[in-house]
Amino acid sequence: MNRLALPLLSAAAVALLLAGCSTAAPTNSEPVSGGTLVYASGDGEPTCLDPHVGGNYPQALVATQYLESLVSKNKDGEIIPWLATSWKEADDGLSWVFTLRDDVTFTDGTPLTWEAVAANIAHLQDPATASSTGYLALQKVTGVEKVDEHSAKVLLSAPDSALLDSLSQPWLAIESPTALKRSQEVNCESPVGTGPFEVTAWDRQQSITLERNKDYDSPPADAGHKGPAYLKKIVWRFLPDSASRYAALRAGTVDVIDNVQPDTIVAAEKDDTIDHLDAPRPGASNRIELNSGKAPFDDERVREAFIRSADVDDAVKSLFFGTAKRSYSALSSVEKLGYSDKSLFDYDQKAAATLLDEAGWTEKDAEGYRVKDGTRLELDFPVSTNQSIPAEQSLFEQIQATAKQAGFKVDLHPLDLSSWYGALAKNDYNLVSAPYTKVGPDVLRILYHSDGTIPAPSGYFANLAQLKDPKLDALLVQASETSDQDERAALYKQAQQIVLEGYYILPLYDQQNHFLYRADVKGIRALPTVSTPTFYDAWLDR
Amino acid sequence: MAGSIAAQPPVTTRTGGRARRWLPWLLLRTGGVLFVLWAVATITFFAIRLIPGDPAEAVLGGPGSQASEEALAQARREYGLDRPLILQYLGYLGRLLTGDLGRSYSLRAPVAEVIGENLGGTLLLALLSLAAAAVIALGLAAWSARGGKGASGVSSVLEIVGAAVPHFWLAISLILLFSTWLGWLPPVSVPGPAGLVLPVLTLAIPLAGFLGQVMRESILDAMASPFVLAARARGEGEGGVFWRHAARHAALPAIGLAGWAFGALISGAVVVESIFARPGLGRSLLAAVQLRDVPLVIGIVLVVALGYMLVTTLTDLADRLADPRLRRAGR
Repeated sequence: MNRLALPLLSAAAVALLLAGCSTAAPTNSEPVSGGTLVYASGDGEPTCLDPHVGGNYPQALVATQYLESLVSKNKDGEIIPWLATSWKEADDGLSWVFTLRDDVTFTDGTPLTWEAVAANIAHLQDPATASSTGYLALQKVTGVEKVDEHSAKVLLSAPDSALLDSLSQPWLAIESPTALKRSQEVNCESPVGTGPFEVTAWDRQQSITLERNKDYDSPPADAGHKGPAYLKKIVWRFLPDSASRYAALRAGTVDVIDNVQPDTIVAAEKDDTIDHLDAPRPGASNRIELNSGKAPFDDERVREAFIRSADVDDAVKSLFFGTAKRSYSALSSVEKLGYSDKSLFDYDQKAAATLLDEAGWTEKDAEGYRVKDGTRLELDFPVSTNQSIPAEQSLFEQIQATAKQAGFKVDLHPLDLSSWYGALAKNDYNLVSAPYTKVGPDVLRILYHSDGTIPAPSGYFANLAQLKDPKLDALLVQASETSDQDERAALYKQAQQIVLEGYYILPLYDQQNHFLYRADVKGIRALPTVSTPTFYDAWLDR
Repeated sequence: MAGSIAAQPPVTTRTGGRARRWLPWLLLRTGGVLFVLWAVATITFFAIRLIPGDPAEAVLGGPGSQASEEALAQARREYGLDRPLILQYLGYLGRLLTGDLGRSYSLRAPVAEVIGENLGGTLLLALLSLAAAAVIALGLAAWSARGGKGASGVSSVLEIVGAAVPHFWLAISLILLFSTWLGWLPPVSVPGPAGLVLPVLTLAIPLAGFLGQVMRESILDAMASPFVLAARARGEGEGGVFWRHAARHAALPAIGLAGWAFGALISGAVVVESIFARPGLGRSLLAAVQLRDVPLVIGIVLVVALGYMLVTTLTDLADRLADPRLRRAGR
């Protein structure tokens, strides 16, 4: 199946058929209880519904409906109470005491106590769980102690200013300690939490059925109401094809769809029966990393020349139809500590040419590409067709075209996910775009600390720019251990300046995360933690 | 050989002789099947392990789940992925000989169970599509045979277009027409027969295009041949001439295409099951390949290969039933 042609063809056809099709529904001002919501995801079906195991975004999306975390975030990026009502960091920063709500029970009847916190952290840290995201977030945690029945003390090996951010993520949600004692196979099928819904059936390749938790009353502090959810049931389906997903939404077969492409968003804007939720993901922005670990990008002038030669602004405008805003930062726009500097990324072919001359790439071959000592200025750019949407792949082609004017030969290699990781592990790349979702600026440490250049046994490493700068390392470590907000912000600013001003990355836009839903579904919002929609406040106005 | 059974009532005294003649054929055929299955398993095993990608990541929720070193090492130990490739291959083959297809890395379930759950959906889809394709193709052929040059020309164009359209394009067009525009049918699979109509049409139309081209030629040939003239002379009506004589004549090349059609339906199922979100072998195979889920890929490929060989054997038999000349020659 041609992933590029399909959405384009269908978009054209949809546009033709769209003319005149709107109904005005009666509007209730009071939420109505009951009804079934059908969610259609374009992601792959998770292999395990417990987001402790592995830990990817599709798991976070569905787990947001049935699992809850110790803390959450509000729209302003401040940490707010959830299962924990309060928390306090010790003066030495080596422990945190979390006071839990004393009136919460898991859907299997187990009460929420300090033991639940201990059991969940132990579960995440147990290699047998095979947690990746949650495991990484708990690297500094050495154990959990009882303070009293409803207070837990989390012990750390070093101060961790990212701890609250980490614990707010669905991958570190609190599950029933009784349920965690079951085999992993069972726990993957029916994880037990405290959330507004519970998993009642999982028919693989068909759907996950979530039913309302009748006794629920533990929403995060910024929720729209109290008590049980309005919806009686959620049916969670997997529709991999984006055109049929949108057709299903228009036909009313499903109520909410994710992974919506720019052309579809524009088409849906003309349709009164469909609304749009734009929820950029936290963590890193979508950016192109320049591999500074090998030639030619080991020379800063060549890196700057490439960035100056890339006309990103115009391409983003024409390919994303205004649905994506250009970023000049290493961090997502939802990260309050993000630092951006537009002037570093101005499109300037003349400057690019001068920089390449200075760097010794003075000759040109018959095709107009720069040459130095008989070597052509050639860049390998493996592109993951799973992670880069069609519009982004077209954007890379546009960058390829403008970089050619400066004399760069960019070789785009569209690859499936496994082959793409393989190419990265073998260091067969000069350019690469890899998304990374994590709450908080500590994502910078994962992406740009020199430790991130040391490959895991799989060969994968997160520091794809291969940035090795002792000064940056020191800043990132210090920031991760500083709880003073102003000092921490200043440290992260300096760190981001090093990354941007060294021309290690070319920021594109936030990690896109668009949802479309039928306009008669009210009360949908994305949790400000990892931007997953929650249907706790949602109700059907039909 | 098969024809000889059908043609003659069993005679006890001849049983021994027939068994002696059957045995080598049976051994040869079984040996052939086993060889093909072994070759398929081997090629698939090495093909999927030699392309880049780490199957251990499939265990941990797929590549990109940022699996930790410890988790990957654990997964490798658990599934024996830390052993040399050749040992993994021999181990896999050994288990296969005992009928054990292994466990899927990504679904954490026995491969046999996954296939069992998904086989029904794909078979139903394939059989209904085959039936629908035959009906469409025969309908067009009948119309061409009776409707003169105009009808023949129109159906010829329809067949060529039908045979040429890719499944994904056809699927989206049908969704737009019948679901988005007319609102008659659900755009994605839902329980019940309504959810099956579009997927079946998507698979059936290209197949009908191919079958129709082949069948129409032979029907038109047959309609012009002396035996049809003879039948007409005997006073056979137009319907009788078509169904009893010409259609039977046209069935032969269509049956010859059955093996190919089976392959086309299975490869089409990969696309159709993904677009319409139907559970089935095609969709499982696509996901398994993307995740480098070796046991599941090989398991599904083996089942498909077995099905293919079954269909070819049945084609042989059906040929003999439809064509008495082969039966006589087979004696």
